[in-house]
Amino acid sequence: MTLQPDILHYAVSVVGKDRTGIVSGIAEALFRLGCNIADSSCTMLAGEFAVILIVSHEKPFSKSRLHDELKPVCDGLGMSLAVRALHADEIARLETQGEICLISVYGADQPGIVYRVTHELAERGVNITDLNTKLIGTPDEPVYVMMLEAALPEGQTPEELEALLGNLKKELNVEIGVRVVTPVAL
Amino acid sequence: MATQPILRYPHPVLKKVCHRVEAIDNVLHTLVRDLLDTMRDGPGSVGVAAPQIGVTLRVCVVDVSASRHGKDDNHGQLCMINPEITARSGTAVMREGCMSVPDYTGDVERATEITVRYDEPGGAERVFTATGFEAVAIQHEMDHLDGVLFLDRIVCLKTGLFRRKNYR
Repeated sequence: MTLQPDILHYAVSVVGKDRTGIVSGIAEALFRLGCNIADSSCTMLAGEFAVILIVSHEKPFSKSRLHDELKPVCDGLGMSLAVRALHADEIARLETQGEICLISVYGADQPGIVYRVTHELAERGVNITDLNTKLIGTPDEPVYVMMLEAALPEGQTPEELEALLGNLKKELNVEIGVRVVTPVAL
Repeated sequence: MATQPILRYPHPVLKKVCHRVEAIDNVLHTLVRDLLDTMRDGPGSVGVAAPQIGVTLRVCVVDVSASRHGKDDNHGQLCMINPEITARSGTAVMREGCMSVPDYTGDVERATEITVRYDEPGGAERVFTATGFEAVAIQHEMDHLDGVLFLDRIVCLKTGLFRRKNYR
């Protein structure tokens, strides 16, 4: 769906213990309100289910009304709720000319993996578009895995980025790989 | 020059199984010309299938020679009539986009090597083995002849966030 800047959009996030019926419960409430779900992402994190939705409504519709309608549904599901109104300039679809890369980072668990890697990326103007992490391994040997997708600034090559991350790789003693996943047009 | 508009989903023609070409005549030559012109006109386009310009015939054109993924491994401009894949091996995932489904990309698994058989516009039969990006492009375009879009083959939930102005 192409987001239309001239109608009202809200960012809705709902998090709580996973169970069946969370998405359908929220979707039913939104449907009854006449709200559209534009972009959304829902995922399971440990035993928690996290829902992030961009919803729109074609008619004037207050944030408090949306909140008030969703609250009992979320309470019933035992989930937290947050609603934020978006400004028109926040809902434009992003465009990039740079390469899209999948960056994999994994190694012995230690404090600061996410911070150090993402800080380095931010310093280089790399825009993270998706990130997920998982703690795996055993209690004796915990392993941290982080996968992220990012848009490189135009002109920066994945090889350059991998080289830039080389020092961090040595310092943290983790594996860091950069692979291009830029889409092909067919 | 007869560049045709690219149909976009949900145009119903994009979900049709196309008919075999029974005769290579002037109408068919015009269709091939239109497909080539339309492919050349699309930014970074490496292939167009007949249903994308509204014709339900088993014809597609492919040319990956100018693309960065295919420039070192290709058979140049291909005009494929009644193409069939007779052998396939290997698999690889590539993130694909399609002019008929703008603003969306997704990870699709395809064979990395295919043997393809088809008739050329001149009438001769051609058989060759394509690999890499050329093989991916041929499979993508041939899918259109069966009403299959890359959306039908996405293997990973993660989808592209960015719309691209240009593909390279």
